[in-house]
Amino acid sequence: MQTVFISQLKPLLDTVASQMDVYIPCKIKSHFVFSKYNSNTGNEVELNNIRACTPVKEFLFPLRELAAIFPEPLVPKEIKPFAIFGLKDCDLRSIEILDKVFTEKDFEDPFYINRRKNMFIISSDCFDPGQSCICNLLSGKPFAGKGYDLNISKVNVGFIVEVGSEKGENFITKNSSIFTKAGEDILAERENNRAETQKQLEEQNDEYKLDAPVHEIVQQSYESDVFDQEASTCVECQACTRVCPTCHCFYLYDTKQKDYFGKMKMWDSCMRLSYARVAGGENPRKVLGDRLRHRFMHKFSYFLERYGIDMCVGCGRCVDAEAGKVDIRRVIKKLNEELNVKAK
Amino acid sequence: MNKNLYQPVNAEIIDIIEESPTIKSFIVQPQESFKFDTGQFVELTLPGAGEAPFTPSSSPAQTDKMEITIMKAGRVTALLHDCNKGQKVGIRGPYGHGYPVEDFVGKEVYIVGGGVGLAPIRSLFLTLIDRIKDFKSVVCRYGAKTPADFIYKSMLFGQWQKIKGVDIKLTVDQSNGEWKDNIGVVTTILSPDDVNIENAVGVVCGPPIMMKFATIKLLEFGFKPEQIYLSMEKNMSCGFGKCGHCMLGKYYVCKDGPVFSYDMIKNYPNIWA
Repeated sequence: MQTVFISQLKPLLDTVASQMDVYIPCKIKSHFVFSKYNSNTGNEVELNNIRACTPVKEFLFPLRELAAIFPEPLVPKEIKPFAIFGLKDCDLRSIEILDKVFTEKDFEDPFYINRRKNMFIISSDCFDPGQSCICNLLSGKPFAGKGYDLNISKVNVGFIVEVGSEKGENFITKNSSIFTKAGEDILAERENNRAETQKQLEEQNDEYKLDAPVHEIVQQSYESDVFDQEASTCVECQACTRVCPTCHCFYLYDTKQKDYFGKMKMWDSCMRLSYARVAGGENPRKVLGDRLRHRFMHKFSYFLERYGIDMCVGCGRCVDAEAGKVDIRRVIKKLNEELNVKAK
Repeated sequence: MNKNLYQPVNAEIIDIIEESPTIKSFIVQPQESFKFDTGQFVELTLPGAGEAPFTPSSSPAQTDKMEITIMKAGRVTALLHDCNKGQKVGIRGPYGHGYPVEDFVGKEVYIVGGGVGLAPIRSLFLTLIDRIKDFKSVVCRYGAKTPADFIYKSMLFGQWQKIKGVDIKLTVDQSNGEWKDNIGVVTTILSPDDVNIENAVGVVCGPPIMMKFATIKLLEFGFKPEQIYLSMEKNMSCGFGKCGHCMLGKYYVCKDGPVFSYDMIKNYPNIWA
């Protein structure tokens, strides 16, 4: 796979935008939010230092979509190719997790698959980690390992563009005129930058460092009171599950339109009181602490057992979004400490 | 293009049977032949109104139409109860794992049911009596609130009682005066002598509280947790292990169940809720 150089981002984005819609993270106050790239605005494109505050899942599994209609069946519409720029390693790992769920053999979600195969991913290395970034505690890195078509790394004189897929390779070959060769010196600079960011992350998250892999800690903590204690400040805003790039619960409901009946699919949250309630009124998770426990168990135990990976990428979005200050870092650290006390 | 797994098969309610004051059976005819294993469930859509999971109560041998017995319990079931013959509906499925009937061969099948819980059991029962010689015996203990609350009355009090190899006992929580049989919850008609426990399997289906106490009773009799099969009806929505609503510990009831052996789920709290 090729690695090339480009001195500015605009020609790269303009070239992609001439072929498909491109979404880029735009800064709103201190956060990045995705919006559609328009080459005519003349604004300088700013490379986001960390992930956007909204999850990438919204491009693959929108907040609300029509899933079926009556009486004539719904034929999923064709999706035009589109590109997302500025995704980070945590975002790519969240896509890997969603792929496991929605492209599972026998139960493939045609809407997800349609979008997924038409998605062109341009990731980029992180720099200046955010206060809530904890990917290093969850087997992540501040730069993309896999799952991208192109990856951008900022260096002093411009940007290194690395190819990660056949789609990316075709793009570079087809548009070779805008790129030059990436020299050894800037590749070395990239390695230094990556190591520096990694070091910053490790220093910043030293207080949350765990004594065992996170899934081992959570799996042993089923009976822990920490979930009830931590849930005491939760205000059930459900923001943690909305911004989470791996949470994928949804709700199916039926609607009446003018000339058809529709079945809608909408994001849902396991933190919601009536989420698991059945028609007769019984509810296995009436207590908020039980819902928090379930959320942690799903992320770090049940999902791992079923699909072989943790369902948390350490992006820290839930830490930023929590109205009730339920901090995933603190919960895990408390569980860790509780186990240490027990072991003594 | 991949098949749209959210799209139901169009179907029509072609007949409605009033089973009890709160329970009706709907005969549903899908536009295409529809196969299921006994104990698997379907999602029944009332277009524009909602969708809910039900285990068909008819025999899987019948693929042109199915019977779905529904208790008026929530919003969608209440709307279904208001429907008339000819109502267009949708069916998705079948989903999950049903009863492992082949594992029951040569054994005594001890069925304990309550209320509308007889619906999934009826499908199993019809499957078993179709090949009754393959099983040592089929012993059925079933309870309803009052005599009026029994479902499938004509079969239950008639034809089924006469089948060789089948032993049925019934009870009611409250008598209406004419009831000559046992009065008390279903656990009061269970006896360790009903079956040879070493060569038996227990099948329990009914309201959560009844399932709990029936399971406890079977364990007291000496059934091992892996000998007891429970039909766990949680809030199944998508039907294929994605939406998350029916999770019971690590299991998706819709995909890994709805029939579980008790040993699979016994360590999770609130399984009866």
